Amino acid sequence: MLLCSGIWSSPRSQCHTATTKRMTIKRVLHWQPNVGTSVNSQILNEVSQCVESINGVKEGRWKATLTFYKPMLRDQSLASEFPRDFLGIMVPECPNKYFFVIRTQRIVLEADSTIQTIMEKLQSYKMRVALNFEGFQYQLGDFQLRVGKVVPTHSENLRGIVMEVEYLPISSIEKSRQIMEEFLEIWQEALSKRTLPGHFMPMEPNFIEYGLSDHYSSQHTAVQYATVMAQLIASVQSVQSMRN
Amino acid sequence: MECVVQGIIETQHVEALEILLQGICGVQRDRLRVHEICLKNNPNLGNVASEVRLLCDLEQPEPTWTVKHLGGAMRGAGAEQISVLVRTMVESKVSKNALRLFNALGYKLDHELLRVGFAFHFQRGAQITVTVSSVNKMLKLHATDEAVPVTPGIQLVEVTAPASSENYTEVASAVSSFCEYLAPLLHLSKPGVSTGVVPTAAAAAVSLMSDGGGTTLFSPHTTRIKTAGLAWSI
Repeated sequence: MLLCSGIWSSPRSQCHTATTKRMTIKRVLHWQPNVGTSVNSQILNEVSQCVESINGVKEGRWKATLTFYKPMLRDQSLASEFPRDFLGIMVPECPNKYFFVIRTQRIVLEADSTIQTIMEKLQSYKMRVALNFEGFQYQLGDFQLRVGKVVPTHSENLRGIVMEVEYLPISSIEKSRQIMEEFLEIWQEALSKRTLPGHFMPMEPNFIEYGLSDHYSSQHTAVQYATVMAQLIASVQSVQSMRN
Repeated sequence: MECVVQGIIETQHVEALEILLQGICGVQRDRLRVHEICLKNNPNLGNVASEVRLLCDLEQPEPTWTVKHLGGAMRGAGAEQISVLVRTMVESKVSKNALRLFNALGYKLDHELLRVGFAFHFQRGAQITVTVSSVNKMLKLHATDEAVPVTPGIQLVEVTAPASSENYTEVASAVSSFCEYLAPLLHLSKPGVSTGVVPTAAAAAVSLMSDGGGTTLFSPHTTRIKTAGLAWSI
């Protein structure tokens, strides 16, 4: 039932300039390499092929960006007073919007993209590192899948692999939970047959802590990307500590 | 970027001003109730002092937020010849967490105000906004229900128009031309250049408030103005 094609697809809300409109449910997963292994482009290819093998229809490209901001401080010894995980995120569904997340303080803000100009003029935070999440998206019945690589802008140095699974008919997180879990089980099982050195980690942030409701929105997506980023960093640091 | 002029008017003449604006603008006024929170950066943060304003529109069914940054005014001989202030201005509509976010980033409250009044938005050579409001201060933190006027009996009139580096002279000219129509009631000038109330305000207000419409006012520049109620001619 889940993978049948031809089922209706609900119209998705567009981002509104004034307030966040409801969007359909999305889960963002990151690739967790097995201990002692690292992510590579072959894994990315295998994942993409797996989507197509379960009748995912390639639709086109997608790209999200995530930027780390760093405070401009006169006295570096006071750095602990300022957030180290201040992120700016752009998602493809909302090209005129920009999202800020401070994950450790559970803050998410949606803004018009002009907020970037304001940050530049304030001269208090500057962009430190920017990453692209980019790849192809696939239609699979009531689901839309996006498979993407994580690379620094202006570089092809693969830092990770992410996947978005979007269930189109529903915008309630709780109401879609079961069907989403069932789909992820099917997906993980299909992928496991390729015996890849790792797996996708489904992580769901506690959206309530961010003040977000059960109705899914682009702010939820931004929070997920911030969470995924934290996991990717933790994975890299874990690998580095093992090597040392 | 925006062009801006300001002036003050006695509260007793605001109704007359509203009648005049109604006639000039040809649009309905919008009610205004905006909580303005001005934040400044931690002294250790950034190489320069920076200020950002959070504006919460309390007139909406659900409060909406805007972040606004006002930059430096245009300077030089060209700027001095323009009767309006031209300054950089960037704003962004945001969700409700703006205050929490900026506090977390190191921006602290400098002052807050509540502006209550009305606004006219119209097109006359430029997209012009006229706001007439009392400026109120809060006796307790964020207590907008307990705000009191900063200057009782006096209200602030502000005329603004968005501009760009390509068209600011035209926009400034449009704003200046518009301001001439308000001259009987108040004088508008660059922010920071105080001119006080105009001596003709009382008489002009009486004329505007008199019954039957059709009152004719003359601006100092001898442009005949008729109030709404009769055909408007410029």
